This record gives sequence, structure tokens and C-alpha cells, in this order.
Amino acid sequence: MSATPAGHPNDPRFLFFSSMLGQPVVDAGGQSLGRLTDLVAATGEPYPPIESLVLRRGRGERLQLPWSAVEEVGPRGLKIRAGVHPEPQPGAAPPDRLRLAQEILDRQIVDVEDAKLVRVNDLHFLDVKGQLRIAHVDVGFRGLVRRLGWERLVDRTVSTLRPGAHYLSSDHLLSWKLVQPLDSTPGRVRLEVAQRALAQLHPADLAEIMGELDRDQRAVLLDRLDVETAADALQETPPEMTAQLLEEVPAEKAADILEEMGPDEAADVLNELTNESRQELLQAMERPEAKEVQQLLEYPHDSAGGLMTPDRIQLRPEDKVSDALAEVRRRADDVPLVYEIFLTDSAGVLKSQCTLRDLVLADPAWPLQRIAREPPATVEPDAKVQEIASAASKYNLVSVPVVDDGGVLVGMVTVDDILSEVLGAR
Amino acid sequence: MPAETEAADSAAPAPRRAWWRNVALFLAVLGPGLITASVDNDAGGITTYSVAGSHYGYGLLWTLVPITVALIVVQEMCARMGVVTGKGLADLIRENFGVKVTFWMSVALIVANLGNVIAEFAGVAASLQIFKVPILLSVPLAALAVWLLVLKGTYQSVEKFFLVASVFYLAYPVSLAFAHPDWGEVARASFVPHVRWDAKYVGMLIGMVGTTIAPWMQFYLQSAVVEKGVKLEHYRFSRLDVIAGCLVTDLVAFAIVVACAATLHQAGVKVETADQAAMALAPLAGKYASWLFAFGLFNASFFAAAILPLSTAYYVCEAFGWESGVDSKYTEAKQFYWLYSSILALGALVVLIPKLPLVPIMLISQIVNGVLLPFILVFMLILINREDLMGEYRNGRWFNGIAWVTAIVMIALTVYLVVAGVVGLFA
Repeated sequence: MSATPAGHPNDPRFLFFSSMLGQPVVDAGGQSLGRLTDLVAATGEPYPPIESLVLRRGRGERLQLPWSAVEEVGPRGLKIRAGVHPEPQPGAAPPDRLRLAQEILDRQIVDVEDAKLVRVNDLHFLDVKGQLRIAHVDVGFRGLVRRLGWERLVDRTVSTLRPGAHYLSSDHLLSWKLVQPLDSTPGRVRLEVAQRALAQLHPADLAEIMGELDRDQRAVLLDRLDVETAADALQETPPEMTAQLLEEVPAEKAADILEEMGPDEAADVLNELTNESRQELLQAMERPEAKEVQQLLEYPHDSAGGLMTPDRIQLRPEDKVSDALAEVRRRADDVPLVYEIFLTDSAGVLKSQCTLRDLVLADPAWPLQRIAREPPATVEPDAKVQEIASAASKYNLVSVPVVDDGGVLVGMVTVDDILSEVLGAR
Repeated sequence: MPAETEAADSAAPAPRRAWWRNVALFLAVLGPGLITASVDNDAGGITTYSVAGSHYGYGLLWTLVPITVALIVVQEMCARMGVVTGKGLADLIRENFGVKVTFWMSVALIVANLGNVIAEFAGVAASLQIFKVPILLSVPLAALAVWLLVLKGTYQSVEKFFLVASVFYLAYPVSLAFAHPDWGEVARASFVPHVRWDAKYVGMLIGMVGTTIAPWMQFYLQSAVVEKGVKLEHYRFSRLDVIAGCLVTDLVAFAIVVACAATLHQAGVKVETADQAAMALAPLAGKYASWLFAFGLFNASFFAAAILPLSTAYYVCEAFGWESGVDSKYTEAKQFYWLYSSILALGALVVLIPKLPLVPIMLISQIVNGVLLPFILVFMLILINREDLMGEYRNGRWFNGIAWVTAIVMIALTVYLVVAGVVGLFA
């Protein structure tokens, strides 16, 4: 093996995809085989190895060669070992293979670390003993300049003008482990590491990313998320977008996601669907959740009835403070906001309420009626946002109880929903 | 979003009659096509139509029919790509044709649109001068108003503002009432082609085509359709929006040509700019016609000056993967804000230069637009025929035939325009 200017081929070294793309591929005798158009990587490992290369001969005839046949990657192209001959490229890549130029380069990916959407300008490979692995994706300005073929020119110009320029050392490389490709067909290519990191993102960040994606990419991303993460993120996206998304996943999964969402958010989403799709999803949902949502659907979405969630902490005045704390611990996951605790009589009529703060400060053995007080404000299901918002503001409530005309507690409207409704009505 | 929610509300809870639901859906989807079409009649467009009317009378009226067809064919493809792929045109070009193509396309688009923005501010200045507003006041104020409107508003509020602005284009059809054209003659001239083979006439004809079908429109329309989030099953409403928009555009163009033909051409007045046309109208058709005409020019210029810098910044950022949009913070979307503000500021500043050679600037802008358009049309035709992108929504055989013929005619005409422009530049 001959030495290359980039160092001895046996040394670990970094290579950019752009330095190979479009370069000639020659056989051992120096005869041209074609030009490199793509690399195929096997997924499943944190740093996927390159398995084969795709080259184009003449007018579009696409051929494939195993990467192991590459003897040398030089500045003037790739040299292939003697005795290996390219074969025609199969029509479709197998599900766990990634065609890098086609599916990654120039596409949008999720940068899981910074929780945003970026475009891939270049790929950065690590070459260890002839085994090429994807190490980073380049999403920076330098990558763009490199793809244009002006890296040397721009580097020279910048270093003459300002030797210490930030640009010269500002490659924006993201570790492959922390990116999630979106442009492959749903169900294909899941990158396990990135997937776990994806689930760690804040639902609001995930929702923002969702908002910037196109329809197909959204479907891919949704497909990669588990039901809980998906539901958390979708609670934060506008209901019309969520509705559109759920129409594109199987009814079964859509129903699971809706069950995980708060009933009030789920109702908002169902409100955006056509009658048939709504009925289909309600059928597919578990009974108790479907029933809760159905009740909410009977109210206009901007009224107390439409905004409220039926999940709340509801106890009897004679229950003890310690029981209440235990109930809070038990239900903390399905109640969106735990602050006000509502006390009702045996018929469910709202009598009084206390706050989590009261519970913490009180003696665990006391009955709740000792710390409870009259509900400062209640609203009926047809109350308008303005009315609920002024009640919450006047009495500093985190959640406003909703009661029917008989005084029976049916749910509560939480301050976050009031806020988004008020802001949205700008 | 309010428009969409309203429509969804009226469509979803109570089963209402189908026609009402269709109207509601159409109104929800309405916007992109109509706005694009209205911006199309910008300062450059109004100038071209006024000049055409005053020089050739009704002689060029017939070209509006094929222009409308071509406009619909091209715009429909953009709207379809937007709805089916959910991606903007710049996005698709980057993903399918690579960085180099995208880079040069962006450079050309920025230069071409900068030229257009200069033309718009020149239009603002000229139209307000008729109302005795000095240029040193009108241009900076207009630029500031545009900047604030876009940066302080949300997409929804800005879109509503634009939809209202497009109503003001009615100023032109209304000004027809003052012009008293010979309707029989107008009808004949609209449908009977009449070609003269002298260079000036052909140049005017191509100018009309060039000003009506411009590169930026394809990007703007497709992004606006994507932004609206139009669903695939509602695509037919989007198509109606596009067709309605194209018809309105050309109705306005028709009104301008007829108004200038019936008054200026009749009296033998030949104008070279739109504000000259507005002023020349005063003694012939009354001062109200003149004011209406000037107001229309101001509205069109202001409207386009608001949309062009914004949309240019959008496509460039979209193509290079930089964060964009007026909802992002400055620190997150620096490139976007810089691009937007510099195009706007540069466009306004150039107009303020005393004794500015506006004609060569316009010629350069026209040349760059003309060089860019064939590429964009060919990219569009390649993309819209890709099975992996469009699936069953690819062009059918007949439509493809019409689209290619349209593209080839457009390309031939713009090549002529570019050559004529280059010759004009050195003459």
C-alpha cells in the first residue's frame, strides 16, 4: 500500500463525505470504473460502518461495490483492489441500510442535543484500518463552503484577513449518536441511541420541532416515539396539527396516544377531525377515556366545559390530611396540575376546597374540613374564557372548579389552558 | 390560524349542508393563490401594462388570455407540490439538486428580488409624489412601516392585512368607469390575436409575459401553501384559490391596459412609466381617475415591498437550514433577520440616491429574473414528475405536455428578453 498525502492509510484519520462524492473510482489497473455517487451504511451500531459504495458509470448506470474492496482513498479518487468487479445496484435498499447521499445529505435531521432541526451539509467519517464509520454530521457554515468546493479559497482569504477568525475553528459537527434522520420511509432505519435521547427531550421542544417539519417527516418522527412521549409532545402542538398527524397513523396507535393525552387536549384534537374519523378513534379508545372525552366534546371548545379536564383531586371533608397527601401522590401522574383539592359531599356537590400548601402545613391527623374554605369562585360549563380567566386572576387560583347547575363538580380548568386560550385569542 | 379554526368549527361539530361546508373549506384554504397573484401586479407590472396600453392601445390585449393559461399551469404545479410534499420549493431544490445549484439559485434570487424591491420603492416614491409627498419622506416611512408590520405581526395577521390590501387592486377596474372604452373593440381585441413583427412590439409583448410570470412567485406560492398546512383532500380548494388568483391578476392587468388605451392612446399620449400614466390621466379622464391610478400604484408597490424581502429571506434560510421566521428570536435566526432587513434597507436606500440611473438597474433585475426563470421551471417539471415525491399526483400526460410547452415558450421568450436586456444595457 502506498502512502497518501493525508497520512498512512493504516492510521485512524477523518474524512469528509464531500471529499469523496463525485470523485473517480478506478480499478487496480488505473481504468476508470465510474464516479462515486453514494455510500451505504449499515445501521444498528452507534457509529455505523460503511458497507458499500455506489458509483455511476456513463449515463446513469448505477453499480455497487463492497467497501472492503477499496484499497485507497486518495485526493484524486478511490482505488479498488484487483479482482473485484462492481455489480448492478439493487433497486431498493434493505430496511436497515442507509443511503447517505440520498437519505441524509442535504436533508433535515433532529439535533437531539440542542433540540432543534438542522440541515446536513456534510458527513464526517472516521477511517480505522480501512473500516469507514460515520462519526459526525456537519451542519455548519464551513460544511456549506466545503460542499461548494471553496474551502481552501475561503480559508486562505479569511486567514489572511483575520488570522484568529472564529470561522477557521468553527466546524459545527454533531455526533452521529445524537442525530435522528427523518427522510427515510417510516418504519425503516431507527437509530436506537438517538431514539432514547429523543424521548428525553422536553415535550415543548419536541413540539416545536414537530411544528417545523413537513407532514411526512412528522409522521416519521411520531413513528419513532413511544406513546407517552408522543402524547406529551402532542399536548403542546396546536390541535389542528395533531389532528392531521393522527389521521396518518394507524387508528390503534392514534387511539393509544389520545388516551395518554389529557382528556381536554384529546377533545380539542377530536374536535378538529371529521365526524367519521372522530367516531372511529373514539371506538378505538378504551372505554373510560373515550367516555370522558365524549363528555367534553359536548361543550364548545372555548367554554369552561371544553377547556376543563375531568381529572382532579376530589375528597370528602371528613377525610384526613394524610389521606389527601396519599391521594395526591397516587394521582400525581394523571392530574395535569395538582394544587387545589376539592371537597364534595356524597352527591358530588362541591362544598369547599383547600390547597396543596394547606396540606403540607397542616397536621396529618386533622380532618380536611379544618383547613378547607369556601370555594372562592366556580364556573358553569358554558362560561367563557374571559370569565374563567378573571376568576383565576382575582382569587389567585391555579385551577378553577367547574360545576353543573346542581352544584356538582364536573372538572376544573387549569391556568395553563386559560393562558394559552387568552394568548391565542390575541 | 383563526381562519382555519373558524372553518373547522363550522365544518366539524354539527352536520351542516355540504355546500356550506365547501364554502367554509374554500375560505380556510383561500389566501396563498390570491396574495401571490396580487403581488404579481407590482410596480413593474403596472408600469408595463400602462406603457403597453398607451403605446399600442388594445393591440396587446389578446396576449392576456395565453398569459393567464400559462400562469395557471405554472402556479397550479407549485401549489400541488406544496400540498403533496409539504415542503417549500427551495427545500425541494436543495434536497434534490444539491448545494451548488442551491447556492447559485439563492444568489440569483437575492439579486433579482433586490432589483424588484428597488422597483417597488421607486413605485412608492412616484405614486406618492402625485399626492405631493416628497420622496425623502415617503420612501423611508414606507420601508419602516413594512419592517414593523412584518416583524411585529404574526403570519396570520400579516396574511389578513395582505388579503385586505389585495382588495385595493379594485382601484384599477373602478378607474375603467372613468375611461369610457369602446367595449365592442375591447372584446374583439381580447380574443383575436394580432401580431406585429416589429422589435418594439415583440419586446413589449415579452415584457408583459416576463412581468406576469416571475421566479419569486413560484417560491412564495409553494411556501405559503405549506405554511397554511393545506390537507391533501382539500387540494381542490387550493387549486380554486390559485385559479381565482390568476384570473384576478389578469383582470387587473386587463383593466390597466384598457384604461390607458381608451384615454392615453386615444389622445396620442405615450407614457414610459406608471406615474406618468397617472398624471396624464388627469386632463383626459378627470382627477379622480388619476388619483385612483396613483393610489393603485402605491398599494401595489407597498404590498410587494412587504412581501419580496421577507419571502427571499425565507427561501434562502430554508435552503441552507438556517432558522427562519418572524416568530424566532434574533439570536436564533440571525441570518434571517439580516437578510430580510438588508434587502429591505438596500432597496429603499438605492431609490434615495439622487439622479439614480433607474433604467439600467431595472434592466439588470429583469435579466437576472429572466436567467433564473428557465432553471426554476425545469426544476419544477423534474420534481413534479418524480414518483418518489409526488406519487399519484405527478403530472398526467396531457398536463405534462401543456406544462412543457408553456415552459419552453416561456424559456424562449425570456432568452429573447435577456438578450434584449443585455443589448439595452450596453447600447
